[in-house]
Amino acid sequence: MSFITDSLTKKLWLTITAAIVITILYSYFLSYLFYEKLYVKNVEAALVEEGARLASEYEGGPLSQELKDKIEWYSTKSESEIFIVSNPRELSACLPFEIDYESLINGAEREELLNGNPVQKIGYEERFDRKIMAVVFPLLDESRLEGIIYLYLPLAKISEVTTDFAYLWMIAAFLFLIIALFFGTYLVRRLTKPLIEMKKAAESVSRGDYSIKLNNASTDEIGQLANAFNHMATSIQEEDDRKKDFLANVSHELRTPISYVKGYSEALISGIVKKEESNRYLSLIHREAVRMERLVGDLLDLSKLDSDEYKLEKIPLPLAQLIEDSLQKYVPIMREKNLKLQLHLDPDIIINGDEGRIEQIIQNIMDNSIRYTNEGEISLKLYKVNEGCCIEITDSGIGIPEEDLGKIKQRFFRVNKGRTRNDGGTGLGLAIAEKLVNLHNGTLTIKSKLGKGTTVKIELPVIME
Amino acid sequence: MHYLKRILFIIIAGVFLSSCSNPRYPSIPEDISIAATVNIKDMSVSFINLDSMEKIADWKLEKPYTGAVILPDNDTIILYGKQVETADLYSLKSGQAVGSWNTGKGIVNGKYLQTTSQIAFVDQNLNNIRFFDLNGEEAIQISTELNPLTILESEKSKILYVLSFNKEKLTVIDLIKKEKMTSFPIHPSAAGAWLNEDKNELWIGGHGAGEEVETDIHVYDSVTGDFKYNIPAPSMPVNFLGSNKNVFVLSHGSSKLYKLNEDGVVLDSMIVGANPFEMVFTNRNIMIAGYDSNDVHFVDPDNLNIIKTIPVGKGPFQIVLRERK
Repeated sequence: MSFITDSLTKKLWLTITAAIVITILYSYFLSYLFYEKLYVKNVEAALVEEGARLASEYEGGPLSQELKDKIEWYSTKSESEIFIVSNPRELSACLPFEIDYESLINGAEREELLNGNPVQKIGYEERFDRKIMAVVFPLLDESRLEGIIYLYLPLAKISEVTTDFAYLWMIAAFLFLIIALFFGTYLVRRLTKPLIEMKKAAESVSRGDYSIKLNNASTDEIGQLANAFNHMATSIQEEDDRKKDFLANVSHELRTPISYVKGYSEALISGIVKKEESNRYLSLIHREAVRMERLVGDLLDLSKLDSDEYKLEKIPLPLAQLIEDSLQKYVPIMREKNLKLQLHLDPDIIINGDEGRIEQIIQNIMDNSIRYTNEGEISLKLYKVNEGCCIEITDSGIGIPEEDLGKIKQRFFRVNKGRTRNDGGTGLGLAIAEKLVNLHNGTLTIKSKLGKGTTVKIELPVIME
Repeated sequence: MHYLKRILFIIIAGVFLSSCSNPRYPSIPEDISIAATVNIKDMSVSFINLDSMEKIADWKLEKPYTGAVILPDNDTIILYGKQVETADLYSLKSGQAVGSWNTGKGIVNGKYLQTTSQIAFVDQNLNNIRFFDLNGEEAIQISTELNPLTILESEKSKILYVLSFNKEKLTVIDLIKKEKMTSFPIHPSAAGAWLNEDKNELWIGGHGAGEEVETDIHVYDSVTGDFKYNIPAPSMPVNFLGSNKNVFVLSHGSSKLYKLNEDGVVLDSMIVGANPFEMVFTNRNIMIAGYDSNDVHFVDPDNLNIIKTIPVGKGPFQIVLRERK
C-alpha cells in the first residue's frame, strides 16, 4: 500500500481517476435508467394514444367487417402490431366455467376492460412466444364487451434502441475517460511540480546554498508558499552574512590592539627601548588593553541584550537629574576640545527606567558626539512630546553621509573604516544604545548632514501622573 | 404492565369471539316470492322480490360460492362452490347459518330432484354425481365422465342426463335404480340442455372448443343418443327454457335471447344484458342475469321486451327461486 501513499502525486492522481470513474459509472446507470424508463413510457403512451384513436372508431353493436378491415389495413401501415378480436372465448367470456383454453386476456384484465379502462402489459406473452409491450382497448357496447383492439410491440424492438444507446454511451465514456485521465495527469503534474521544486530548493538551502530562488508566478496557496520560501531563504542568507561580518569585525577589532600589545611588549622585553621611552610604551600597552576591555565589555553587553533573559531593573527616574549627573564627567574633555555644552532640560519629566542603562545610552551617544566634533557645540534638550519625552542631542560635528545613515546603527559599522585606531570607539555604541532604548519601549532616530552635524533623538514613554 | 396485558387480552378475546359467532344477514320475509342470484365476483347473494320486482337484500358472504339450491321447506338455501369445503345451509327467514354438509371441494352444480326428493351435486374433483337426502346424508355416488357440469332431470323417464364438459360424453343415470344406464358421444364443451320429452329430443348447447366459438344448438335423440340436427343460435348457447311449444335459448357470447319453436325455427331474438349465463322462468316472465353487466332483466316471453332491469351484486351466475302460490 505504501507505494500509493508515499507520493502526493499518486494520491491526487488516484483521487481524480476514482472520481472520474465513479462519475462515469454513476451517470451511465442513471441515464440508462432514465432513458429506458422515459423511452418505454413514451412508447407505451404512444401505443395507448394510438389504441384510443382506433377504439374511437367503434360505434356500438357487434363488430362490423368494415371496422375489422380498417384495423387490419391500419396495422399494415403502423409500426406496432394491431388486431381486433371479437371472439368471446379469447375474451375470457366463459371464465366461470373454467374453460380449458389459454385466452388472450385473463379474468382480471377482462374486469378492467369491462370498466372501460385500457389494459397495459409488459412481459412474456405465450401467445406470441416473445416479450412484448401491449395495450388492450375495450370495445364496449353499454356493458357488453363486444371486442378488443390489441396493440403490441415486441420488446426487442424497444431494447434495440437502448442497446444502441448503450454502445454509443460506452464509446463516449471510454473517450471521455481517456481525455479526462490525460488532463487529470497533466493537472496533477502541474499542481505537484512546484512542490517538488520546493523540496529540492529546501534540500539546497539545508546544504547551505541560499542563492536558490523559486519561480512561481501563481498567486494561489502554492505560489504564496513559494514566495514565503524565497523570503525565508533570503532572510537566512542575510542572517548568515551578518553573522560572518560580525565575526570578521570582532576578530579584526581584537587583532589591532593585540598586535599593538604584542609589538610594544616584545620591544620592551628585548631591551631595545631606552629607559626613558619605556614608560610611554607601557602606557600605549595599557591604552590598547583598555580598548580591548571596552570592546569585550560591549560585546558581552550586546550578547546579553540579544538573549531574552536580559532584565531591566526599572524604577521611576527624574530624567533631567540623571542627564545632568552623567554629563559631569564630560566637562573636562569638552573644555580640553574647546566645545560648548548647552543644556535645556525639563526637570518635571519622570520615566520608568533602569538608571544604569539610561546612563549608558546617554554616554554612548555623547561619546560619539564628542568624538566626531572638533569645534562648535553640543546641545542636549529634554522636552515633552505627545506620548512621552524626547532627549535630543545635537552636535556640530563632521556629520554622516546620507548613504550611510541607514547602516549607522549596525554593529561595527563605521563611516570611515580607517579611523578605527584613532577615535577609540568600538563600533558597537549605537547598536547597544538602540537596543536599550527599544527595551525601554522607546525609539532612537538619527538625522545628519555631512559637515554640519548630527542630531540623535531618543523618545521614551513617561510615567503618567 | 398488568393493565396493558389485560387490555390486550380483552382485545384478542373480542376478536376471537366475534370471528367465531355466525354473522347475521338481513332476513328475507317468508310470505313473498323471491329470486336469489349467486354473484361470483363479489361473493354475494342478491334477493329480489318477484312481485314488486325490487331488490330487497344483499348478503355479503365470506366464501366463494358459485351456486345455490332452495330446499322444499322454502326457507333453507344451500350454497356451494368448487373451492368451498362444505355446502352451507342458511335460513332465509333468520338470515343465519343453520348448518353445513361435508361435501369437500369440487361441487360445481346442484339440483333438487323431483323424482327422488334428493339433492344431486355435481362433483368435478371426484367426477361423479352425489345424491344427498334433505338431512345432508349422502346416499350414493355415481361416477360419470371427466368434468361433469350440466345435469338435466327427466321426471317422466325418471332419469338424469349428465353432460361432461371435457370428455364429449353424455351420461344417463337411472334415478330409481341409482345406476349408470348408458352414455353416448356428444360435441365438445357442451353446456346447457333442454329435453323435449314429446319428441324425444335433447337440445344441447356449448361454449366451443379451443378458439372455436360454438354457434349451434346440437339436437340429439334422447333415447338413442343419435345426433339429429343443428340449430344455429350464435354464439355460445348455454341456457334453455321450454314453455308452451316455445324454446328460449340464451347465447352468452353474443348476449342474445332467442325464441324458437319446437322445430328449431327462430321466431324472435333480442340482445339482453352483458355476457348472460343464467335464465329462469318466474311465474309471468323470463329472468336473465347479466354476468358482466351485474344486473337481472325481466323479459316478457311473448314479445321479448325488457320489462325491468335491476342491478344486483357483481357477477350474477345463478338464479334460484322460491315461489309462493
